[in-house]
Amino acid sequence: MCKDYVYDRDIEQIAKEEQGSFEITASTSTEVSHQQYSVPGLGEKYPTWETTKPELELLGHNPRRRRIASSFTIGLRGLINLGNTCFMNCIVQALTHTPILRDFFLSDRHRCEMPSPELCLVCEMSSLFRELYSGNPSPHVPYKLLHLVWIHARHLAGYRQQDAHEFLIAALDVLHRHCKGDDAGKAASNPNHCNCIIDQIFTGGLQSDVTCQACHGVSTTIDPCWDISLDLPGSCTSFWPMSPGRESSVNGESHIPGITTLTDCLRRFTRPEHLGSSAKIKCGSCQSYQESTKQLTMNKLPVVACFHFKRFEHSAKQRRKITTYISFPLELDMTPFMASSKESRMNGQLQLPTNSGNDENKYSLFAVVNHQEPWRVATTPASSGTTRTSGSSVMMPSSPRPVLRTLDSEGYLLFYHKQVLEHESEKVKEVNTQAY
Amino acid sequence: MPPLSSGQQGGEGRWQPLEVPWTHTNIPPQCVQPCCRPLCYEQSEHRLHKSSQMKMEEMSLSGLDNSKLEAIAQEIYADLVEDSCLGFCFEVHRAVKCGYFFLDDTDPESMKDFEIVDQPGLDIFGQVFNQWKSKECVCPNCSRSIAASRFAPHLEKCLGMGRNSSRIANRRIANSNNMNKSESDQEDNDDINDNDWSYGSEKKAKKRKSDKNPNSPRRSKSLKHKNGELSNSDPFKYNNSTGISYETLGPEELRSLLTTQCGVISEHTKKMCTRSLRCPQHTDEQRRTVRIYFLGSSAVLPEVESSLDNDSFDMTDSQALISRLQWDGSSDLSPSDSGSSKTSENQGWGLGTNSSESRKTKKKKSHLSLVGTASGLGSNKKKKPKPPAPPTPSIYDDIN
Repeated sequence: MCKDYVYDRDIEQIAKEEQGSFEITASTSTEVSHQQYSVPGLGEKYPTWETTKPELELLGHNPRRRRIASSFTIGLRGLINLGNTCFMNCIVQALTHTPILRDFFLSDRHRCEMPSPELCLVCEMSSLFRELYSGNPSPHVPYKLLHLVWIHARHLAGYRQQDAHEFLIAALDVLHRHCKGDDAGKAASNPNHCNCIIDQIFTGGLQSDVTCQACHGVSTTIDPCWDISLDLPGSCTSFWPMSPGRESSVNGESHIPGITTLTDCLRRFTRPEHLGSSAKIKCGSCQSYQESTKQLTMNKLPVVACFHFKRFEHSAKQRRKITTYISFPLELDMTPFMASSKESRMNGQLQLPTNSGNDENKYSLFAVVNHQEPWRVATTPASSGTTRTSGSSVMMPSSPRPVLRTLDSEGYLLFYHKQVLEHESEKVKEVNTQAY
Repeated sequence: MPPLSSGQQGGEGRWQPLEVPWTHTNIPPQCVQPCCRPLCYEQSEHRLHKSSQMKMEEMSLSGLDNSKLEAIAQEIYADLVEDSCLGFCFEVHRAVKCGYFFLDDTDPESMKDFEIVDQPGLDIFGQVFNQWKSKECVCPNCSRSIAASRFAPHLEKCLGMGRNSSRIANRRIANSNNMNKSESDQEDNDDINDNDWSYGSEKKAKKRKSDKNPNSPRRSKSLKHKNGELSNSDPFKYNNSTGISYETLGPEELRSLLTTQCGVISEHTKKMCTRSLRCPQHTDEQRRTVRIYFLGSSAVLPEVESSLDNDSFDMTDSQALISRLQWDGSSDLSPSDSGSSKTSENQGWGLGTNSSESRKTKKKKSHLSLVGTASGLGSNKKKKPKPPAPPTPSIYDDIN
């Protein structure tokens, strides 16, 4: 009568079901079309979230909203130093600014399976996110976190300054174990098939190929890894087995001769390495001891890639810190370092992905942890050029042109986040992030 | 997008233009989809000409004048615009109708509080910094309120993980022993400490419990320290081989024995204690009594500077030690105490493990505190063996 369009829920439900069933039979086309969001007529495999009536009412009753944006303090909060714990504070800040982790915890996705929830580190992380995103201006005291970490990671316990990288790995390990609800034993059973949020985000696959020089048979192993530790020039081992001065402006880094870039370090990491005659391995195919070359590449890229510069050298007598400046970019393309690019690497070329238009392996920098006394972290909020540095407890706005300052910093741990997240074909998990 | 009917050409069977309930100025910019086709009027004209050439033979367009052509072009243009916008319009209409159109918006007042402040002297929240010195937190272990910046060292001690923690704990236990605490309380304390260690990890709990060997000398010691005498509850735990029947000994043997060993006669076994002269189980009073009993009233307790002990004492050190001991500040004794106590472990106590020996040493020190001695009999702070200082006041002078 009024000629307006009406939306009836029951009919829509029927329509959705029909669309869904139609979609299953047309599965091949979704692989092509997953880049597009939805193909008309084929139904949507990953529909947008639509509110239900009770949700609408709830949202209507609570009209105040908080937006995470670069000019607001939501998401920023200082952390009190509990006594030589600034390494821990830095890692906490980096983790709480991980966009995908933030989305997971702020949407309350954690279901605790631990026998005693007050000992669950994931629950504590969840409440930590709530605290840090509350907008509360007073700094937070992470004493519970410290207590839980000391209980669950004994080797870290103790009142002393520690390594942030070591803390990161231990914290991820405890979180991973607690996601499963079991504190010991089960965790080590099958890391390849773990489905917890930590593994979904941080676990990448490092592929190691050992090529026998005699028969050219390749034996491949893929190991899960949470970070990539990179050697630096100035360390005991030589850095440039191949000729320097090659094109290293792959990722838009300012290529000044003499300045090592992150890409250089990655190139070195993924180069074919000739294992000397003292390290002959037994080749599986020709059954003899032969010299071989070994190459590391990335088989599966994690959503959040953490790069660790090996700045601390432990020689016989002392611990030395390498302070070489390494330039790192805001955006990083990992395509040349993938296993699929191995062929061109073997021939000595570095594949330049600039024109490929493929965004799959592109990353954006979102946090940098530096080791100066005290530990400092700089995090980049979404799509802005501003950074906040947080030391122990005070968050100061960075000076103008802060992006450059972060990039000028020494860099010890670098956190990169994937720009485009793909749907996994088996799961109807809806993850859709804009480029950060 | 709902499928659109394609009967736009011609005039029949078309949809009526949609009555949109809002003007274009109301649409927030973020609603605009990024995939709108750019349109221009020339394109529609181009289409018109093409279609007119290909299909519309029956309508001889050449006969139409320009205004009619223009009208048709206009129509096609409008159709193209609708084409692009209709899907979008439907989406917005649906959002408004279902009530989630304005969900994303933040009310301006909420976000005003959270704007970043960028002024010198203030942090991003607009506060003066360095005002957070007095933050406190509650220790999850002992439920005490601790200053935040001192939480980590406190927690280390609280969980028993530091270098000094075990020593401090043992000292406390020794103190509580001498205060005649009941055995069950002590067991409870031990169990509580076990719980601290066994969060979620049975392995560690088991390990700890296995350390609590029921036959360990520590446990037996705790039994013995009831009232300073041997308790009768677990006689089999007491190592009988340490006792000596004094009836069989001659006077000379007794004398030599009493110069090197404790010698206090146990009521239960009627044997003399063979532990060292500073055995914590017995008081010096008891030792004196025994010697007087055996050797006459002139018997004197041998001084501690025998070869058995590494101890030495200085006047100044002993004064400092005494003042500290008397305060019962078990947590404040310096690490050097433990260092020297380790050296005295080598003196062949003859019982138990090393750790228990070091505990015995400490118990002796705290025992001294209760007696109120003024001498540094237990002041084994020096690691190197030293000759005994000659003009040392004997502790027995003070007792008298």
